[in-house]
Amino acid sequence: MSPTRAESAPSATGASRRARLREARLYLVTDDATPEERLPELVSEAVRGGVQVVQLRRKQASPEELHQLAQRCRDRAREGGALFLVDDYPELALEVDADGVHLGQDDLDPTRARQLLGPECLIGLSTHDRDQARAAVRRPVDYISAGPVHATPTKPGRPPVGLAYVSEAARLARVPVVAIGGLGPGEAGAAVRAGADMVGVVRALCSAPDPGALALRLRREIEGAARWTRLVVNGEERRVPPGCTAEELLASLGVGERRAVVERNGEILEQAHLARVRLAEADRLEIVHLVGGGCCD
Amino acid sequence: MTEDRLQFGGRSFASRLIHGTGKFPSPEVLAAAIAASGAELITLAVRRLHLDGDRRSELAAVDLSAHTLLPNTAGASSAEESVRLARLGRAAGLSDLVKVEVVGDPETLLPDPQETLRATAQLVAEGFTVLPYSSDDVALCLALARAGAAAVMPGAAPIGSTLGVLNPHNLRAIIARCPVPVIVDAGLGAPSEAARVMEWGAAGVLVNTAIAHARDPEAMARAFAAAVSAGRAAHLAGPAADAPAGGYGASSPTVGMPTPAGAGS
Repeated sequence: MSPTRAESAPSATGASRRARLREARLYLVTDDATPEERLPELVSEAVRGGVQVVQLRRKQASPEELHQLAQRCRDRAREGGALFLVDDYPELALEVDADGVHLGQDDLDPTRARQLLGPECLIGLSTHDRDQARAAVRRPVDYISAGPVHATPTKPGRPPVGLAYVSEAARLARVPVVAIGGLGPGEAGAAVRAGADMVGVVRALCSAPDPGALALRLRREIEGAARWTRLVVNGEERRVPPGCTAEELLASLGVGERRAVVERNGEILEQAHLARVRLAEADRLEIVHLVGGGCCD
Repeated sequence: MTEDRLQFGGRSFASRLIHGTGKFPSPEVLAAAIAASGAELITLAVRRLHLDGDRRSELAAVDLSAHTLLPNTAGASSAEESVRLARLGRAAGLSDLVKVEVVGDPETLLPDPQETLRATAQLVAEGFTVLPYSSDDVALCLALARAGAAAVMPGAAPIGSTLGVLNPHNLRAIIARCPVPVIVDAGLGAPSEAARVMEWGAAGVLVNTAIAHARDPEAMARAFAAAVSAGRAAHLAGPAADAPAGGYGASSPTVGMPTPAGAGS
């Protein structure tokens, strides 16, 4: 019988999990090729090297194997301070007290998963095109992945979407974005410059002779790349490329023609200055206009 | 004889009917009603832009450039929020006109007198032409006028209620006592009620729900315009049954009051 949430040890709160997710940069997804007995050690080494989120993905394991493996990998991830997620199965996430679950487009609907998991668990969702990224905005998800950036044996038959889609997802998303798919050293920085908050790595880390050393190298590459600026626009998180001006933001939001007013950190920006104002990390913007109505509507 | 116009804050308008823009069934109906009313001033709220998709604006069919925009601060529940919305409205409407609305009670939407007064004083200091929505309180309207309001907008009844003039004595006293134009705002339900307050000497009326929720808003807008004109004409003609202006005699004598302590001699 699976333990209910009330019976299990007190879990981390959703707020602390989300705060850690926001700061995470390197995300490991396990593969099927790594032998089961090696996997917990791989997780430990990768986390020591700088991996901050671990997703257990074993498409070929039986439910019993997966349950065992999840407990062991969870402990290793937590020892190193990493978040631990399981792939596909919300029930497994509850059973092993994982920090959350990652869902594909063909898995359980995020809304249904949220009902099962409650508000404290993280839910991630794979997206592969603009429509999916747009649809994810109104789903109860805490991050999205964007990929595969390159063709990869992990996802045979899925066409690569390239870094252009990572940028598109970064513009649309209100939650952190993980670029994933055939990414390794030399490409992690480019993914960040394209708008990714996190870089997801499968094969490069799982097949590395020294996963810890590679994780450290990837983290350095990621930290050295200019990250997109994160803003709060009308109460929701948005990302813009470094150096983006207020005018460029309005254009990217399709606001151009409408008579909108931008308030930045409590100060109204004059129309004439919009092209000169460069947006900064954590800026709070309100974009308002005149609408029909008064008090009673 | 010079043309009879609604005047405040250095502006003047031929129409004494101010048109609200909320709760209309469609942008087209709103535009038709505004056109039928002949209103020059229309009130608008300040809200976040919808950044997803292309939701059609309820103002889409209205030619805003043909009107004087009166941004309101609906949604504010403090002076600070009202001032912030006023500044945003000025930037969006390119006008220094603002209708201050500070709700003090979310159930009845009746205004908060202290916050309304504070917001009015602050916005006057910032150079706005301020029209505060207030309760039908004589002393409050006088205080708002002293604070620099260009006109005062006492409600006839709670916003959206269409209950008509709940306290005719108060409204008449406000009209008699206020040194600035009195525009009756909120709660009017029928053109006859608009005509009535105009006969008393109100400088104008603001109507929204009574038009928006009429079976035929366009026709009702026209009816309100006619009522406002008729009431104004009646006021200028001097109604025979006009009540004596002079207030109500106090029941206690006002002479022989002791001098306040510390006032000297």
